[in-house]
Amino acid sequence: MNIKKLRKDFYFLQKKNYIYFDNACNSLRPDCVVEKINEYYKEYPVCAGRSNYALAEKLTTDLLGVRKNIAKFISAKEDEIIFTKNTTESINLLANSLDLKEGDIVLTTDKEHNSNLIPWIKLKSKGVIHKTINSNPDNTFNIERLSKVLCPEVKLLALGMSSNLDGVSIPAKEIIDLAHKNGSLVLLDAAQSAISEKIDVKYLDVDFLAFSGHKILGPSGTGVLFGKKDLLEKLGSFLVGGSTVHSSSYDDFELADIPERFEAGLQNFSGILGLGEAIKYLEKIGLKNIQKQKLVLNEYLSNELLKIDKLHIIGPEEASRRSGIVSFYIDDIDSHQLSIMLDRSAGIMTRSGQHCVHSWFKSREVASSLRVSMSFYNTLDEVKKFVDELNNIIKILR
Amino acid sequence: MFCFIALLVFSVLGIFSATHRKFAKEAFDCVFRRITFRPCNTGFREKVRGIILVKLMKRSSFFAKVFNKYFELIAWIFFVLMIVSTFYVGRGAYNFYLYGNCNGVNEEGFCLFDPTGENNKISPVAPTCGLDTPTVDDLSLANTDLDKFFFIDNNSEDTVVFIGCYVCDFTRKAFPDIEKLLEKKKPNFYFGHLPVKHGSDFISSYDYCAREDTSGDYWKFVELMFTSDIENINDQNYLQEVVDKAGYDKSKIDECLADPETLASIEQNIFNIGNTNIYGTPLVFVNNKAIVGPKPYRVYKGFLK
Repeated sequence: MNIKKLRKDFYFLQKKNYIYFDNACNSLRPDCVVEKINEYYKEYPVCAGRSNYALAEKLTTDLLGVRKNIAKFISAKEDEIIFTKNTTESINLLANSLDLKEGDIVLTTDKEHNSNLIPWIKLKSKGVIHKTINSNPDNTFNIERLSKVLCPEVKLLALGMSSNLDGVSIPAKEIIDLAHKNGSLVLLDAAQSAISEKIDVKYLDVDFLAFSGHKILGPSGTGVLFGKKDLLEKLGSFLVGGSTVHSSSYDDFELADIPERFEAGLQNFSGILGLGEAIKYLEKIGLKNIQKQKLVLNEYLSNELLKIDKLHIIGPEEASRRSGIVSFYIDDIDSHQLSIMLDRSAGIMTRSGQHCVHSWFKSREVASSLRVSMSFYNTLDEVKKFVDELNNIIKILR
Repeated sequence: MFCFIALLVFSVLGIFSATHRKFAKEAFDCVFRRITFRPCNTGFREKVRGIILVKLMKRSSFFAKVFNKYFELIAWIFFVLMIVSTFYVGRGAYNFYLYGNCNGVNEEGFCLFDPTGENNKISPVAPTCGLDTPTVDDLSLANTDLDKFFFIDNNSEDTVVFIGCYVCDFTRKAFPDIEKLLEKKKPNFYFGHLPVKHGSDFISSYDYCAREDTSGDYWKFVELMFTSDIENINDQNYLQEVVDKAGYDKSKIDECLADPETLASIEQNIFNIGNTNIYGTPLVFVNNKAIVGPKPYRVYKGFLK
């Protein structure tokens, strides 16, 4: 993989001397994605799925093509792919459509992003119980603990496949097998992993899976919910209206087939087309190459960070278990201040705070952390510059 | 404490800049959290500190280090300085409203609200040889015979004495406000003309004769003199027109102008005005309080009873 050449595909990386290390929040978009969005607005800015003119049919065909590509990307069938706004909306859709009753239990890990925590806590009003599975001290998944807490009341496991806090992935296949033996469904939040882990929903046998477009080089406002066809058929309807029905009368309606019945209102056509381009681009580079580059960068960065006094990396020390994320805090230095200073002094963009995982920080009594999340277009030189600048700032602050 | 200081500082700066308005909002959020007994965990303090540190770091690591170490102390120093400067700005605004000058009536020095010192400008009177130039403290009506001034008796408890010259810019600037004061508040009013500009002696003669002669309206003469262009006033033919417009019998005025006693009387009047220790025009006494320079109307009004 020629990173120097790849970086030329990103206008943003050509423009200024920025170092973008906030990829866990939002990846950069290659020019082909931006151009595809423009192409929609310039060449065929029309409605899909409901009109018979040629341009509308072209758009419908193109969108179907994207749906097929996404299905292929995760080894699913095309009618198992529901377009959403993002992972958060995908999970909310599921939380509000699943037939969960009073006394049913939903399990999550103890370091879920709010998007995979709040929707389940909110079901408390229906009598649904939310419980967490505590991680190991190094923040890795504790499979033994899971096997102990599984019981018939556990109807769903909603788990982050790879954590946005520390980059640690869970043993998804092992967990799904255990859950299915217990009769529980499994939802994987693949927001962080979809860009670098090959997801094969057939192999994993996962029931539901959600991810966002904006973290996999796609446009903002695009997301996907995968669900096994038979399970989707059983889901209740959450958002209804235009596009979700075959027909309606004054007092009744007939729902459309899946997946359309879950895609209410006019869709984000340009975004979906852009997402299709992003997936093509990812496949061209290869997810393995992406992960490899992330690990090279993480290895170097982690080794350098561990030399700094009073610095703690969240998660296991081995970089190989944290993908492209290094989240750390320094006992006597505020993370917000560090982040601001890195940005203002060297244009290094990092994330400080609790990264939408407030629950984890509160339970550990850690105020905040600085998260460096790298992607395949980041270089070793950038990481070295980060380390140098960090050391300079620490010298000033101590 | 930092959030509170920042709220004050950024609120003031926010009046002028949107960036600081954003900081003020964040500071308010922080203060609000504090007063509702919640921790201020918005990172605001660190944000501001970080921004300043980076700026210092680019210039000198040493200063950045010192700033970081004594951040709290420095914040306090700036807070005290801000309170002190706010007090002075407030006092300046109060003085400016009352006296037309930030530093007090007739005071010199820079004034933010009158940066060019327009309200303090005077046409200086040539110093008397061998005598020290008088100061504001020397100004007084005690040794001046007001009977020699033009007088309008409004049967008021307020008395205004206006001394100026027809061709002096700052007296002309003050005149409309003095006239307004006279019309609206109707104080007892004295006017004395003091020729401070070289070569305007003949104007003094016209003024003296117009005042002494009762055939015309002297105040109309004064109004015409102050509202006419300076170039015209310096022209004797024009002064004849003024005399005519003010209703004077021209032959009587000419007679007075030709009288050798006139110059002696003018000299006496100038001497009489000089007894106030005047050092520049315009000079206004409102109820014996001396006011030097052309002040806004509100200032003159403020000294009335």
